[in-house]
Amino acid sequence: MKVPYSWLKEFVDIQVSPQEVADRLNETGIEAVAYPFGERIENIVVGKILSVGKHPERDKLLVCKVSDGEREYQIITGATNVFPNGKVVLAKEGAVIQGKTIKPVKFGSLQSEGMLLSLEELGIGEDAEGILILPDEVKEGEDPNKLLGLGEDWIIEIEITPNRGDALSVKGLAREVGAVFGLKKRDKKPSVEIPQDDSIKIQVLTDKAYRYRGVIIQGVEIKPSPFDIQLKLIKAGQKPINNVVDITNYILLEEGQPLHAFDLDKIEGEVVVREAKEGEKVITLDGEERSLKQGDIVIADSKKVIAIAGIIGADNTKVDSNTRNILLEGAVFDNIQVRKTAKRLGITTESSYRFERGVDIQNLPNAQDRAVELILQTATGKATGYKDIYTKPYIPKEITLREKTTKRVLGIDIPKEEAKELLERLEIPTEITEGGTVSKIPAFRSLDLEREIDLVEEVGRLKGLNKLSETYPKIPTQAFRKSDEFNFDRRTRDFFKDIGFDEVVSYTFVDEEIYSILGLPVPPIRIKNYLLKIQSIMRDNLAVSLIKTLQYNLRFQNRDLKIFEISSTFFEDYEEIRLGLLATGKINRGFDFTKGETQYSTTQNWDFLKIKGAVESYLKMLGLDGVKYTQIDLPYINPYEGAKVSVNGVEVGYVGRIHPEKAEMLEIPKDTYIAELKLRCVGRTLNNQECGSDYLFNLWKNKDTVVFQELPKFPAVKRSLAFEVDEDLQVDKLLEAVKNFSPKIEAVELFDIYYLDENRKSVAVSVLFRDKEKSLSDEEVNQLVEQLVKDLQNRFNLKLRT
Amino acid sequence: MNLIDQIKALKEEALRLIDKAVDLEKLNSVRVEFLGKKGKLKAILKTLGKLSPEERKQVGQLANTVKEELEERIKQKEEELKKQALAEELKKNKVDITLPHSWIEVGSAHPVISTMFEIVETFVAMGFSVAQGPEVEKEAYNFDMLNIPPDHPARDMQDTFFINKEGYVLRTHTSPVQIRAMLTQKPPISIVAPGRVYRKDADPTHSPMFHQIEGLLVDEGITFRDLKGILKIFLETTFGKDIPIRFRPSYFPFTEPSAEVDIGCTVCKGSGCRVCKDTGWLEILGCGMVDPNVFDAVGIDWERYTGFAFGLGVERIAMLKYQINDIRLLFDNNMKFNHQFKGIR
Ligand SMILES: [Zn+2]
Repeated sequence: MKVPYSWLKEFVDIQVSPQEVADRLNETGIEAVAYPFGERIENIVVGKILSVGKHPERDKLLVCKVSDGEREYQIITGATNVFPNGKVVLAKEGAVIQGKTIKPVKFGSLQSEGMLLSLEELGIGEDAEGILILPDEVKEGEDPNKLLGLGEDWIIEIEITPNRGDALSVKGLAREVGAVFGLKKRDKKPSVEIPQDDSIKIQVLTDKAYRYRGVIIQGVEIKPSPFDIQLKLIKAGQKPINNVVDITNYILLEEGQPLHAFDLDKIEGEVVVREAKEGEKVITLDGEERSLKQGDIVIADSKKVIAIAGIIGADNTKVDSNTRNILLEGAVFDNIQVRKTAKRLGITTESSYRFERGVDIQNLPNAQDRAVELILQTATGKATGYKDIYTKPYIPKEITLREKTTKRVLGIDIPKEEAKELLERLEIPTEITEGGTVSKIPAFRSLDLEREIDLVEEVGRLKGLNKLSETYPKIPTQAFRKSDEFNFDRRTRDFFKDIGFDEVVSYTFVDEEIYSILGLPVPPIRIKNYLLKIQSIMRDNLAVSLIKTLQYNLRFQNRDLKIFEISSTFFEDYEEIRLGLLATGKINRGFDFTKGETQYSTTQNWDFLKIKGAVESYLKMLGLDGVKYTQIDLPYINPYEGAKVSVNGVEVGYVGRIHPEKAEMLEIPKDTYIAELKLRCVGRTLNNQECGSDYLFNLWKNKDTVVFQELPKFPAVKRSLAFEVDEDLQVDKLLEAVKNFSPKIEAVELFDIYYLDENRKSVAVSVLFRDKEKSLSDEEVNQLVEQLVKDLQNRFNLKLRT
Repeated sequence: MNLIDQIKALKEEALRLIDKAVDLEKLNSVRVEFLGKKGKLKAILKTLGKLSPEERKQVGQLANTVKEELEERIKQKEEELKKQALAEELKKNKVDITLPHSWIEVGSAHPVISTMFEIVETFVAMGFSVAQGPEVEKEAYNFDMLNIPPDHPARDMQDTFFINKEGYVLRTHTSPVQIRAMLTQKPPISIVAPGRVYRKDADPTHSPMFHQIEGLLVDEGITFRDLKGILKIFLETTFGKDIPIRFRPSYFPFTEPSAEVDIGCTVCKGSGCRVCKDTGWLEILGCGMVDPNVFDAVGIDWERYTGFAFGLGVERIAMLKYQINDIRLLFDNNMKFNHQFKGIR
């Protein structure tokens, strides 16, 4: 809300600079900035339009003759609201308007000797539609700077938090400024007398209209408002329309009370405030047809809806230049209902904005009668009567504020005498009692001040939260819990960062298309009111995001990628924190030592074993053994270069190469490798019961501690053995069989594989034999080897090669 | 020339040749020529028989000394030549020490996650424990129990993403973790909760997904001044000892009194710039004393306990720290951006 400083001063004798007012408001809870109203402009003058004609060559331009009292100017303009005898602001040669200096310009064959200015061009409004038309009483030749107060007045623009509807008016802000600076606010009292007339046909049929007060004014003359009223509205950022409408807006700004004027002669029968019927239609003042719902509050006559209560009037009873008699409505409607309806219809008006945040029900007659008084002054006419339907008068709530509560919350002593003084500055009547104060909350703060804590806040902010000195609490050690999840995530993150992966953070929402390309079912959680359709699915794996990141980088020729992300994936009842890896292209760009005469590149490309190595090293880092790789069945992973990963029988993820078909569809390199591990689970219940324990975090947390083993006392014997086996035998199976054959086999190491023909391959291993109790003789080892080979031959189609 | 002179001459010649030898082969041939079985020294000694025993002894001694001298000299020369040969060998196999290495490159940290971990660690060091909650959150925890009833204007402050799951939303802040903590722990409670949050908003300074850190301390005797103390330590740790701090009263439904905390603009040091919109101040976090209604909702007695809570946006702090001007860069993951953040934690 924009509040002209001069207007504010009508209510409170503030002597400091507007900037200081803004600063102090910021310190006490209302965001405010102060800036001058416009800036002085040289070479502008009030002009009178003598004639308006069409431009002979240009359709959209008009040619005006304008006089500044001394000479005549030919002005070409695109504005359509010019008319003979209209008073306008004329910028002459040399005037600087929005940074541009006015010079004579030719439009076709005609020369324009200046420019007629709009509010925007004058630097005092956002309205660039049409030029500013000044009231008739202004004389040509006058100085617009003086007339408009350019660069003289100031604007204080405030933004309130949702609880401070009471400050949304000039008067309300004056009250706040008064409280901050310790000044008394003045009120404006109307001197008009209107007879009460309960025969006026108004009925309230809903309990969501807390007060409804109608005033009949007859014989008004609709015309432009006096210039001072227009100027105040302009300064406050509003557009003058006509005297009656301007005055309802004026009172809304000044008193915070929304008012609505109906053309009385367009109302048929009795005025009823009621709930809307389902599907009831109305064309509102902005020309839109609105469909209403049960629960909405409307003002209706016997035939039609004439306003959506507290939000916007209907076109059918609008005040226009022919209006003679009006019904001026002043009301207070249920704030929640106004908000619901306005939100559903997508309308925000000055009126709905204030009703949603609370309007002072006690001040209604005062504000409305001030409007009546101003209407009678500017539009003549006679106020013939009012009817006030106010069935449940406001009873101020009493709130006790204990000194000890203030101390407990703020940490400072505010004696009750001081509390009383602070609260009364806010116009909250307060009495001192045993150990504290009791306040009677006036209607203008009734939505906001309901509890003791609300008063603690009031005294706190007036004292200035910024001025409180700091204290340092004891952090309760009983509350300490080991942050295992955080530590686990941190170790994981550090590990992959340190072994060369780049950390990425991607959106957790993706599009449906990637799921259909990858051949995966669409995940369960979707955003209903998404910003973009391509950001509407909550992913259930990280691969979709990693692939998108790769695609994005390919657009920038970033072809070598090794990235990781630790982030959420979403399921019906829980979320999984996963680790995702994606690698493609070159691992590094390094060189090796000289071989002979040439320095040669050792740049390596990613392959399955390398990405598997990254995964396996990570599991080793966590201290997890018992890692197994088994056949994978994921539509986007090459089944012959991919594996499910399990640790001690718990499946924790997968690692593999992208399926070449998918790579083609996704337009990503075929040598793209992806791995995904399930780190931990976050449930939606308080005790995570939906999660289970099949996660690396749980395995890590519950793993056995390391126990020191005695170092071997006797020497080991190493034997190299080469086996001929079937080509499709997985080497791991062979190694495992060797290792498990005897406790005397300490280690098995693979050192060579080569293919003999299509069906057979040779696998060479070195086996380390050791007995814990004694030195092994050659004889014994030979025997063990013999038995081993026999055993293996029973299991596999195997031959010992010699 | 008598034998003695002959031996002396032979020695001189041998020494000259040893010095001249350019490689081990040449040196060896010198050895053979002078000291070998058929060498020149042997040849001279063969004529010893013609001499008197006196002379024989004298010449014999000389010959021995010369032999030892020459052998010693050859050995020295041999060492020299070996060293030389090795040096040449090494030189031949020299490495261009400026070539790029073939070890792994260290990875880059994401500036947001890095900032988030750093902030969390600051609070952990002060004694807070890390808590967490789901991103698909119960509406009751995200709003109602935080004193944000339906149809309250405060629900407008956070544009919510609704999902196809009745009673749940994408959490709009990390504050529901407060509720979870207070429902599962009895006071005293001290937690810090980092996490992703969502709001329906997208422009250069707003992203529909971003990160927040929530803090909560509940105990007997906790006051607003304590809140100021803790935040002061945090802000000074993060932005430097002399950073100006101001508390502006504000409004959040779940705290009262509430405040927004500003720090002096880190870009212009308070003189006014584009980043701080010429105010000299940057809004950095929101905080306040836990509202009694929130305590009511989770069953904590406000007459006995008080507490403070705060929440801050991680992206904003990361963007200030690294002078990043568009929030969208953070989630594009263009490696040309990410690679700038190697060597941060
Ligand atoms: Zn700045």
